[in-house]
Amino acid sequence: MPDNPYVPIPVRVQNVRVESDDRTLRTYDLVFADDAEPFEYLPGQFCQLSILGKGEAAFGIASSPTEREFLRFTVNRVGTVTTALHYLKEGEELGLRGPLGNHYPVEKFKGQNVVLVGGGFAFTTLRSLAAYLLANRSDYGDITVIYGARRPGLLLYRDELTEWEKRGDVAVHLTIDEPAAGWDKAVGFVPTVTGKVRPSPKDAWAVVCGPPVMIKYTMPVLLDLGFAPDRIYTSLERRMKCGVGKCGRCNIGPKYVCTDGPVFSYAELASLPEGV
Amino acid sequence: MSSSLRIAKPDLDQLVSALTSRYRLFGPVDVDGSTVLREVKSADELALGAALDGSVKAAFFPQTETLLTYDGTVSEAPSGRDKPTAVIGARPCDARSLLLLDKVFGTGKYWDPLWQRRHDDSLVIGLGCSAPLETCFCNLMGSGPFDAEGSDIMLTDIGDAFVAESCTDKGERFLKTAYKSQVQRPSQADLDKAGEARSKALASLAPAANYSGVKTALAKLWDSALWDEIALGCLSCGACAYLCPTCHCFDVQDETAPGTQQGRRVRIWDTCQSALFTKEASGHNPRPSAKDRIRQRVMHKFSYFVDNYGEAACVGCGRCIRLCPVDFDVRVVLERVIAEGRRTKDKERGTKKDVRHAG
Repeated sequence: MPDNPYVPIPVRVQNVRVESDDRTLRTYDLVFADDAEPFEYLPGQFCQLSILGKGEAAFGIASSPTEREFLRFTVNRVGTVTTALHYLKEGEELGLRGPLGNHYPVEKFKGQNVVLVGGGFAFTTLRSLAAYLLANRSDYGDITVIYGARRPGLLLYRDELTEWEKRGDVAVHLTIDEPAAGWDKAVGFVPTVTGKVRPSPKDAWAVVCGPPVMIKYTMPVLLDLGFAPDRIYTSLERRMKCGVGKCGRCNIGPKYVCTDGPVFSYAELASLPEGV
Repeated sequence: MSSSLRIAKPDLDQLVSALTSRYRLFGPVDVDGSTVLREVKSADELALGAALDGSVKAAFFPQTETLLTYDGTVSEAPSGRDKPTAVIGARPCDARSLLLLDKVFGTGKYWDPLWQRRHDDSLVIGLGCSAPLETCFCNLMGSGPFDAEGSDIMLTDIGDAFVAESCTDKGERFLKTAYKSQVQRPSQADLDKAGEARSKALASLAPAANYSGVKTALAKLWDSALWDEIALGCLSCGACAYLCPTCHCFDVQDETAPGTQQGRRVRIWDTCQSALFTKEASGHNPRPSAKDRIRQRVMHKFSYFVDNYGEAACVGCGRCIRLCPVDFDVRVVLERVIAEGRRTKDKERGTKKDVRHAG
């Protein structure tokens, strides 16, 4: 981060692709306009993407620090800034502030099994984490990915998921909500599928990201399987402005999602007053 | 080693000139029936006797401040540094609030260069409160009408003159250089008058209620029906936040000149009482009701701020009481919180909670 944390660094769109069949999600690979920019981050951190004249919004980093060539973000078109982002073409510039926030505790995961549970377009930082674990494969035990979406066309990073399925050193369980033509994998909601996959809690950590309803019903499944609350992590979202703990709007109780999070353990969340 | 001197009121201009030659000087000025903080050039603009309606935070954290300017895709942070900032006539509550804001802007993982540079090389000239108002409760928030905390120099009004005392090395150095030649030392009678003003002010304040139980009580009252009742007495207008010397929440917006790509990104004071404050693009709002928002305001000031910075984010200036359009009184809220806390047992917190998402 530069001396002034409010000033964005110029970045350029290297590659953009439509990520979902309803075209509301696009994935951007960004490169620094100034090659020398030092940028060290870990899976789970986020950035503020900035379109001058439109504003800023926070996005989890979907690339892994082991992928040195680009920073990846997947953007859901929903408001002013995300709509402006959707109009960006390859070669165009935008601003970036970051990396911000804390990260998944990848050091604690070393030598242990990791279970990633994701739903819908909240798979971005889980993709970062999976790519990081796979790039450092020998440092970790079993890796399990359970990922679901309403229908096949809404699963992010389809090509990559197919590659992971072929690798043999990561167990990938994909699911959709209702049967669809050409789909021969699991059908059912993520909490149910998690219950069926039955990942072992022994020497294991779980990371869960998804829509509220998915998280709500997945947490009890993991607790019932024997995962301790301090071994289940999730990542939270709140409306943010500064991203650096000053503007005062993303707090949950005394914690700021931008600086104390966005990654929290389930044990930490249970100790906070506000119903997150 | 602090020194004191006597400044006859007609000679105040000498102090103001010494200040304006080195600093961008802010002080209380009467505008349209209100006393507000403005940049001042001469002593006759000052309204030192009045209660300041806006707080002195504006001298260091302006209501609107440029973070960067842009033209197309090229942006630039404001370059160069302003003249250092000085404030004259900061009441002790306001002077102390600057130290609380230092904790927000100057500590933690990131520091805020806009606030910090401005406050670091500033000079704060406090003015003791000889006649505290009925709405003042600095004594309940751990300070008092002549508390020097946050001031470099403290003025005491003794009728035809001020007694000026340095409270920091910076204040001491300034007084020495500003009054090299013609220092007038206060006489024993002046010092007695100043002492008398202080004891009279202290005696006039309401006896110190004990707010030390507020945080413990708040911890038990998250789900209390008290918040529904408290919310009924609040318009959610947010005036309190704009007047509050410790409220620091801000919004960030881009302002583009019509028909061009030129504009500026500004930060603007914001209030947690607005529904838009936390409303997300998806439509989801973690604090959808007035009750959620007033609870956030009270919790932030008297619980979360204590967790994060060791003291409450309230200096007892009483503006939020004095200038509230519907007579909302935070002192009453704190008393009700304490009383309700006594009646409420500690609650066991469950671990199975509704956890929202994720990305």
